[in-house]
Amino acid sequence: MASPYAFRLALQSLSKDFWINLLSMLTIFAGLFIISLSFFIFYNIDAATRNLPEKFSLVVYLEDNLPKEKVDEVIASVRSRREVASVKYISKEDAFRELKATLKNSQYVLEGIDDNPLPDSLEVKLRRDAMGSEPVRKFAETTRKIPGVSEVDYGEKFLSTLHDIRNGMRTAGILLAAILSTGIIFVCYSTVKILFYRRNDEIETFKLLGATKGFVRAPFLIEGAAIGTTGGLTCLIALYLLHHVVILRIGASVPVFKTLLFPANIFLSLPLVGMFLGISGAAIALGRLKY
Amino acid sequence: MDLDGPMIHFQNVSKEYDNQSALHDITLSVEKGEMAFLTGPSGSGKTTMLKLVYLAEMPDHGSITIAGKEATSLGESGIPLIRRHIGVVFQDFRLLDNRNVFENVALALRIRGIAEREIKTRVADSLKTVNLRHKADSYPRQLSGGEQQRVVIARAVVAEPTVLLADEPTGNLDPETAEGVMRTFKDIHAKGTTILIATHNRELFRNSGKRVFRLNAGNLVGVEVC
Repeated sequence: MASPYAFRLALQSLSKDFWINLLSMLTIFAGLFIISLSFFIFYNIDAATRNLPEKFSLVVYLEDNLPKEKVDEVIASVRSRREVASVKYISKEDAFRELKATLKNSQYVLEGIDDNPLPDSLEVKLRRDAMGSEPVRKFAETTRKIPGVSEVDYGEKFLSTLHDIRNGMRTAGILLAAILSTGIIFVCYSTVKILFYRRNDEIETFKLLGATKGFVRAPFLIEGAAIGTTGGLTCLIALYLLHHVVILRIGASVPVFKTLLFPANIFLSLPLVGMFLGISGAAIALGRLKY
Repeated sequence: MDLDGPMIHFQNVSKEYDNQSALHDITLSVEKGEMAFLTGPSGSGKTTMLKLVYLAEMPDHGSITIAGKEATSLGESGIPLIRRHIGVVFQDFRLLDNRNVFENVALALRIRGIAEREIKTRVADSLKTVNLRHKADSYPRQLSGGEQQRVVIARAVVAEPTVLLADEPTGNLDPETAEGVMRTFKDIHAKGTTILIATHNRELFRNSGKRVFRLNAGNLVGVEVC
């Protein structure tokens, strides 16, 4: 536990070396702002694409003239699968009726077709947790083997592209956050190192008077925490301003901006993240310094 | 801490800097409550000896015992605890220019985690001992050499150390101020503090009745009572 005197020393240093501290704080702010902005973009893209799989379904085509009992068996077999959320039977007549309705302005396409060429089918919706490109492919493969099933059709390309985009964005986000966090820690590390060297004589006197390492270190850790927290807090304020002043104003004329989600709960932790990075940088610097 | 045996004991201590001998095979003891002097010409090893006592340096050979604690076997965390029993009047003062007199003296107590209320009383008492109570708000650069010297003494004694070390405490002072500083040391000694003063000024220990250790080129060349 740091003593009140350690806080006093840290405050004195923050005001005495104001410009160095301000510069570090602004660098931390910039790093956290870029991370937050990337997260904000990813969060919104993720939210926009999160519900897409719910609209996604597989179509299981049945063999021609399958008896009713066989159709029921196929439906029961598909429904018994853990991944399945719902199964809807579409008879060939319903399918043809629907096709005609869809093509009502292009009736010439169906001219000359007297017999219904469409097969009976099942529209299968999967549960959210089974929506990955690989599980869907496996599901389609096993369903294809059920007796009475002639073909299984699903948007393989769409699913795998969506999956790749989200994975790519997540990886890029993690990489960016890791690189910038390391940068922030390095800024705090360098700042504390500079401040430490500037106070070398003072620290030497502290030690000769009987100060422990803890007594010497505490003000620097507090200073690192203060710089990091202030950087995080400034970033939080900047994000709120960006959202409320810029994005919502643009949203008045460009409605799509109004739909953007602001993850306030996550952003509220920014000062804590800043504090953690600040303390980490200071601790690494103090651990490496010989004194 | 063993406070019954000698306060400071050097046993066959040697110290070198860049292959140059600073101290050679020194064996001596300063007893509890004793006031003793270290003397010798410049470069004779007086400051090195004091540095070895307050553990700013470690010996190359031999052993040093401070209040019964073997200094060379102390870990890094043990050094501050020993230093808290030692008050030092540094030759170069080591006053912090950005802190006023009160804060400079209080530092020794803050390092020991003393409560703020007690700090106020003890610093005031300590400054009174050296007749500088009226300068509590002044900064070191606003003081004369003699006044700065007395601030350093106040800082060294404010934590009531068992051992007080002084390195050329009257080095830059006029005879009258030097006499005042020595009177302060005698008062502190009268309270039972062990004192070791390094000086080349013979006037300080002439007719004092105290033991004087004579150093020359890093060797202990004599011990006498003056």
